[in-house]
Amino acid sequence: MIRILAFVLGLILALALIAMPADAQGPAAPKSVNATPIATTALGAISYGAQSANPGEKLFGRKCAFCHIGPSTGKFMLARRVPKGQAELPDRRDLTADYVKAVVRNGLVNMPTFTRVELTDRELAQVADWLARKGRK
Amino acid sequence: MSILLPAGMNGAAFDRALGDFRRAIGDPWVLSGEEDRQTYIDPYAMGDGLDHDCSAILAPGSVEEVQAIIRIANQHKTPLWPVSRGKNLGYGAASPKEKGNLILDLSRMNRILDVNEKQASCLIEPGVGYFDLFRHLRERNLPLWMSVPGNSWGSVIGNALDRGIGYTPYGDHCETLCGLEVVLPDGSLLRTGMGAMMGAKGWQSYKYGYGPGWDQMFMQSNLGVVVKAGLWLQPEPEMTAKITLALPRFDDAGWALDILCDLRRRDIIQHNIVFGSPVRAASTMSQRADWYTGPGALPDSISEQMMAKLGLGWWNAKISLFGDEGSVMAQVALIRRLFEPRLGGPLQFEVWKRGEPLEKSATGIPTTMGLQSVNWYGGRGGHLSFAPVLPQDGDMALAYAKKIKAYYEEVGQDYYASFTIGRRHINNVSLILYNRDEPEAVTRVDKLYRHLLKEAAASGFGEYRGHISYMDEVAATYDFADGALARLNSRVKAALDPNNILAPGRNGIGSRTHGGDRT
Repeated sequence: MIRILAFVLGLILALALIAMPADAQGPAAPKSVNATPIATTALGAISYGAQSANPGEKLFGRKCAFCHIGPSTGKFMLARRVPKGQAELPDRRDLTADYVKAVVRNGLVNMPTFTRVELTDRELAQVADWLARKGRK
Repeated sequence: MSILLPAGMNGAAFDRALGDFRRAIGDPWVLSGEEDRQTYIDPYAMGDGLDHDCSAILAPGSVEEVQAIIRIANQHKTPLWPVSRGKNLGYGAASPKEKGNLILDLSRMNRILDVNEKQASCLIEPGVGYFDLFRHLRERNLPLWMSVPGNSWGSVIGNALDRGIGYTPYGDHCETLCGLEVVLPDGSLLRTGMGAMMGAKGWQSYKYGYGPGWDQMFMQSNLGVVVKAGLWLQPEPEMTAKITLALPRFDDAGWALDILCDLRRRDIIQHNIVFGSPVRAASTMSQRADWYTGPGALPDSISEQMMAKLGLGWWNAKISLFGDEGSVMAQVALIRRLFEPRLGGPLQFEVWKRGEPLEKSATGIPTTMGLQSVNWYGGRGGHLSFAPVLPQDGDMALAYAKKIKAYYEEVGQDYYASFTIGRRHINNVSLILYNRDEPEAVTRVDKLYRHLLKEAAASGFGEYRGHISYMDEVAATYDFADGALARLNSRVKAALDPNNILAPGRNGIGSRTHGGDRT
């Protein structure tokens, strides 16, 4: 019963997000034809990986998830050019650690660069390795 | 590898300065290689961004290291460009106004030093981002809410110091700061407000202290490096209600602004209200090519298609109400009474009660969703904002907006505007989207911005915040008594920072004609 209630509540929330007009002042969901279904809420994206034992996943949660998980920019932009179901980076099948490192340091289209102050080489290696391994599972 | 030197320095002198910086803060935190420098180029630069390239980056980890850096900078006369997190997107991000400055990146100073639940305040360092503070409050389940700006990737302190805004009752971010700790341009340390007293208990309780209050001196300026700040947080209310009002016609802005401004002045609506045109909403969920591939500015007929498909009005105003159940419901009834006869249908507010999922509430939830708008034209996108301050007069604001829309159409730029309603003012924001790698777009954007600045100043409206490429031009429009404000700023700057080592030219203060030299 509780599970059903939680599901219904989740569905209502997801619908509420979809129905909300997008606006720069708050999270919103796309209505464009390219939109992928929203699995995670804005709040879910912010706490992504917080409980993970994997330092790469934890760092991804703090440094990347706000754009790449749930209703946000990185995910929407990628939804236009990657296979369906892979718009969130942890779902990608084609990422190698070196590719992730190159994109993070050089930027790609509208993805800005990350400096070595914001994300050290060691931290970047952890994120990149986690993303590459996750994709092979 | 190309090396860029700070203004007036030769290679040997620059190397000596870098050596001293390395000894002071450690080798890994002095970055001077080209690969590191390119990660600090403004991602929204108009063109390649090299006209605002830095010569090196210094990333201190403590107040003492900031002080050491400033003392060394005075010895070597190396100009520093301080940034909290460097995410001032749309205004130059981390890039210095003057080419060749060393960026002083405070990102590593990212501690949340204290959160006082009872008194609803906190003390934080400049590297703390909106996501960091939000996570901190939520993980501890504290009943304290934040205001967040449209792009929440940046620093809480940095945004407030540049007078950024959010859309909750705590949305005038500079007003929510209470007590600063500042490294002055001679390397000495100052605390403002009650913090000026040794062992003060009320540093985050009262802003003004005794005698003149200097906090505003450190906002949109270059007279010190803020290394700590107190911040007031919003106690979680019992109830919120929110709605987006869709106003069907362009001209509806006139009467709607007058009603909403009145509600804002009376504090019935307690937050900055934003009021955006169709491209504002469409650009966060689609690209221009999804709607139109023709040349010139987007025709009104296409905007109308967007409105129909996305369920938008010409203007879309998000309104939120905060408080106890009785007052929120009374305010809902008032707004329904004012707007329903004009909009011709019932207004459905989304109501949140304490204990329900936060997404449903009107709290600020950090997001980078708005950054999607730079993808509008395709390619590597960027945006520039021109946002002059108008008084709260609907007819005046509508007449101004019409003039601006006509000019966007004349130069072939898609019209994207919003009105932000503050406590006593309206900002008519012109957002200018572009593909930074398209030279004709960059030329058009520059022409448009300069025209808007001139046009607004001639109408008596001044810009509230400046992009690094136009700081001198904006400062020059503040020309009462032949530039008395600029003269005062220069005198203060010369007295506090005689070597002009802190952010030369920021907001037009201490500008020099000469940038860095490339070797």
